[in-house]
Amino acid sequence: MTSPLGTALVLGGLLAAAFGAVVGIEGGLRHRAGALRIVLGAVTAFLLCMVGANLVMVYALVTHDFSVHYVSMVGSRATPLVYTVVSLWSALEGSILFWGAILAVYVFGFSRAHRHDPPTNPLLALGTMLAVGVFFSFLIAGPANPFGRVSPVPPDGPGPNPLLQNHILMVVHPPMLYLGYVGMVVPFGIAVAALIRGQLGDAWMATLRRWTLIPWTFLSVGIVLGAWWAYAVLGWGGYWAWDPVENASFLPWLTATAFLHSGMVQERRHTLKLWTVSLSLASFLLTILGTFMTRSGVFNSVHSFTQSEIGPTFLVFLGAVLVVSILLIAVRGPLLVPEGTLGGVASRETSILLNNLLFAALTFTVLLGTVFPLVREAFSGVRISVGAPYFNRMAVPLGIAILFLMGVGPSLPWGRASPETVRRQFLVPAAVGVAVVAVCLAAGLRGGLTLLTFGLAGFAATVTLREMLLPVRVRMREQREPLPQALFRSAARARRRFGGYVVHLGVVMVFVAIAASQSYVVHTTATLKPGERFQLGPYTVQLAGLRNGIEPHRRWTAAEIQVTDGRGRQQALAPRMNFYERSTDPVGSPAIRSAAFEDLYLTLLAFDQATPSASFNAWIFPMVGWIWWSLPLFVFGALFAAWPERRRVRSGATERLPVPNEAPSPGAAA
Amino acid sequence: MTAWVLGLVLASYAPQQAGSTLLDPAREARVQALGKQLRCPMCQGLSIADSNSSAARAQMDKVRELVASGRTDEEIRGYFTSRYGEWALLEPPATGMNLLVWLLPLLLLLGGAVAIARTIRRPASAPPAPPAKPAEPETDKDRPPPDDPWLEAVRAELRR
Amino acid sequence: MTRRGLWIGLSLAAVTAVLLFVLAKGFGRDPHEVPFQLRGKPAPDFTLKRLDTGAPVKLSELKGKPLVLNFWASWCGPCKAEHPVVAMAARRFGQEFQFYGVVFEDTEENARAFAGLPDPAFPQLMDERSRMAVDYGVTGVPETYFIDAQGIIREKVAAPLDPRTMMEKLAALKQPAGPVSEVVR
Repeated sequence: MTSPLGTALVLGGLLAAAFGAVVGIEGGLRHRAGALRIVLGAVTAFLLCMVGANLVMVYALVTHDFSVHYVSMVGSRATPLVYTVVSLWSALEGSILFWGAILAVYVFGFSRAHRHDPPTNPLLALGTMLAVGVFFSFLIAGPANPFGRVSPVPPDGPGPNPLLQNHILMVVHPPMLYLGYVGMVVPFGIAVAALIRGQLGDAWMATLRRWTLIPWTFLSVGIVLGAWWAYAVLGWGGYWAWDPVENASFLPWLTATAFLHSGMVQERRHTLKLWTVSLSLASFLLTILGTFMTRSGVFNSVHSFTQSEIGPTFLVFLGAVLVVSILLIAVRGPLLVPEGTLGGVASRETSILLNNLLFAALTFTVLLGTVFPLVREAFSGVRISVGAPYFNRMAVPLGIAILFLMGVGPSLPWGRASPETVRRQFLVPAAVGVAVVAVCLAAGLRGGLTLLTFGLAGFAATVTLREMLLPVRVRMREQREPLPQALFRSAARARRRFGGYVVHLGVVMVFVAIAASQSYVVHTTATLKPGERFQLGPYTVQLAGLRNGIEPHRRWTAAEIQVTDGRGRQQALAPRMNFYERSTDPVGSPAIRSAAFEDLYLTLLAFDQATPSASFNAWIFPMVGWIWWSLPLFVFGALFAAWPERRRVRSGATERLPVPNEAPSPGAAA
Repeated sequence: MTAWVLGLVLASYAPQQAGSTLLDPAREARVQALGKQLRCPMCQGLSIADSNSSAARAQMDKVRELVASGRTDEEIRGYFTSRYGEWALLEPPATGMNLLVWLLPLLLLLGGAVAIARTIRRPASAPPAPPAKPAEPETDKDRPPPDDPWLEAVRAELRR
Repeated sequence: MTRRGLWIGLSLAAVTAVLLFVLAKGFGRDPHEVPFQLRGKPAPDFTLKRLDTGAPVKLSELKGKPLVLNFWASWCGPCKAEHPVVAMAARRFGQEFQFYGVVFEDTEENARAFAGLPDPAFPQLMDERSRMAVDYGVTGVPETYFIDAQGIIREKVAAPLDPRTMMEKLAALKQPAGPVSEVVR
């Protein structure tokens, strides 16, 4: 029963999306105001069908209906309920189904938010998004159908991939990433609408920016949680391996981040329109490319789903979107003429241009490095690797330059700055940066690039804090407002600026944490018998014994460890190896002792029950936790910036809000 | 009894050789540095220094053996490429077609920098002044020791 | 402006074409396959201890008769399924070929207890710290090497062997090494 129902819902979604796409694009091209209501209806139907299909699948998973193809692949009676629900997105077909539902939710949200806009732009945007929806529902209905029927019905299934049921983060990380990935459909639709019409007004630009900020936030959270998951689960002590799929999630984040910055130039100076729009198209294209990388079986990755039939279909779609995008840019792009000029060398806009150049270079480098083994194999038949050493060598200098610009950009005014201004603006932050390096040197820290990173972090953080607090000080001095009120008001008056700076602080934190945890790591391996111990930094690690256990879906062996830190505090840790019934290799679970400034990280390498003895890898990673602890800053800053400002008058077809003939509103300055 | 039987069953699964004996700190640092450059054959793009897999452990032991016998880094990398091909190196050597992966990003950076420089140097050739140019002074030449325009904007906002 | 637009469009189109071509060519490629460079090269020499008698076995003493080396470990599931295939081949073709097992990353006790007992049809060698396995370019277990009478590595199978593949590889091993022998995969 569930199989036909699910298939019917997906087909319904396919029809609704196809109908809405045609009506939307046609209506948009001919400026039919009445079409919007029809498209809104189609969007609602699409939403109901896609969400319904997902609920049907969850129901099938929870009731262990092994007659459904997907359930027979990932379900198992032994799997705990949480992971049973989670297995909705733990394998290829389910993840595409889930993808469809998120897409529908986004399109629906957009259609509700813009149903009262002048209809042409929303029609074109919704039509484009629904066209993407057509592809995904086609994929679900055809090549990646999870609702196929299995007969005879197996009594039990293999359960989801062991790596995916090892940690609770796996419940949160993929949906976040999907929300980020799929959400890029919306800015894509908005940008395509702008290109088709050949105009990008202020109001539509604000729409584009807001709808980029939402998936950008999810993507940031997803990436950081993914790093955390890798660190807590994979057991090699790292959080980022430049794995093709990690890169795939990083690429659209980079272009979206570049967009958020170039969008400011477009708003303030009315130039860079085509570039800004292209970044939106690129973000979407990169999410499609990323999905292809994960699901085509072409790339080797922790995350790769099993080989499947959908690769060629996906490639055709990717090609189609690429061709459409390039045609739009080449044919319609010249219509987006710049209406303003850029300022001088020492100006905000120049620093943002440089920022965009660095982000573009980083995107290109990561993309090139990821696909280069395929290029080499396609053209010369030689198998090569492009791994972490390459990416680190290329990305670290670019990252450091970006960190530097994070301090420079906010210090410079729009337009032109005199040498005097530059000197005044940079004196204190630069001094702070130098002081940070001096303190680090005095504390015995070494390493050129690391200290440079710390110094620039001090520089950028000082600039950011100053820019955040200056208006507060003005208010306190000139309006005699008390501190909390001044802080709140100046933040609320310039939400995007304030939110952006909060995110900048989070980024500084991540930079510092990465530099410290990579540079000052301490590592050893040891084999212990019960009662024996080894010393690593301030920690004494003692083996108490081995313990075995059985859970419904796995058996495990843990080494019971007693850790004593420098101050004599004790903590029990139990790194272990898990044995899943249907997987031959054991899956290790590291044990981590987290503190404010460093983590002790233990993995069980091997054990011998007879002796008994156990071998470990042990690391100290300074400040590594700060990478994930920066998440609140990212989320808070982005939410603060994305929160709708005072209601604006929705302007008509020309969509150029007259710029008030006064000082620029601080709200638009960030 | 059950625990003992279970122990035996479990023991038969885990990679069993005990942890490796490390070399003296100086040479071990070399081993780790080399290990970071070599790709683990049964992992997903990890280096043999990072991976916990049995194959990676075996290869790390081989690196130790080669370092201990006085081979140079180049010889040790050669040992692995003669078995696993160029694939074994996580960083593609900058020769032949691989030059692309090293040089193209630099070319992009250079080209972009030139483009930006030309855009900034040529404000005159751009279209005439924007239709709605903010009244805010764009340069701070004509102002007494100026605060930054942002603060001016804050003050203007306050005065409203 | 239009000329610039054309240029940008053309270069984007070129990049797109290359990207799509490369991705399309990637289909059917096994991303897990590791290159093996020792095919057609002399097998590296080794001296290993027999698991049963403790007697040393040298590769140079084994020349003159084609050799099959099977790498395995007690903790490896697929090796258990493969073991009888090698043992069967050793019983049937022991006259024409020599069969040896090599224990990878494992302890002697575990190897002795492997699946009850390693089949006595072919002797097992202990590879201390897997030194010899890495010399041979092993990427994991199970893996089987086919070495001809002259000590040249003709072939390596990096997967559990089924009886049919075993027969094919043994038949190929009897053929004299020709320049085309490397094509057989």
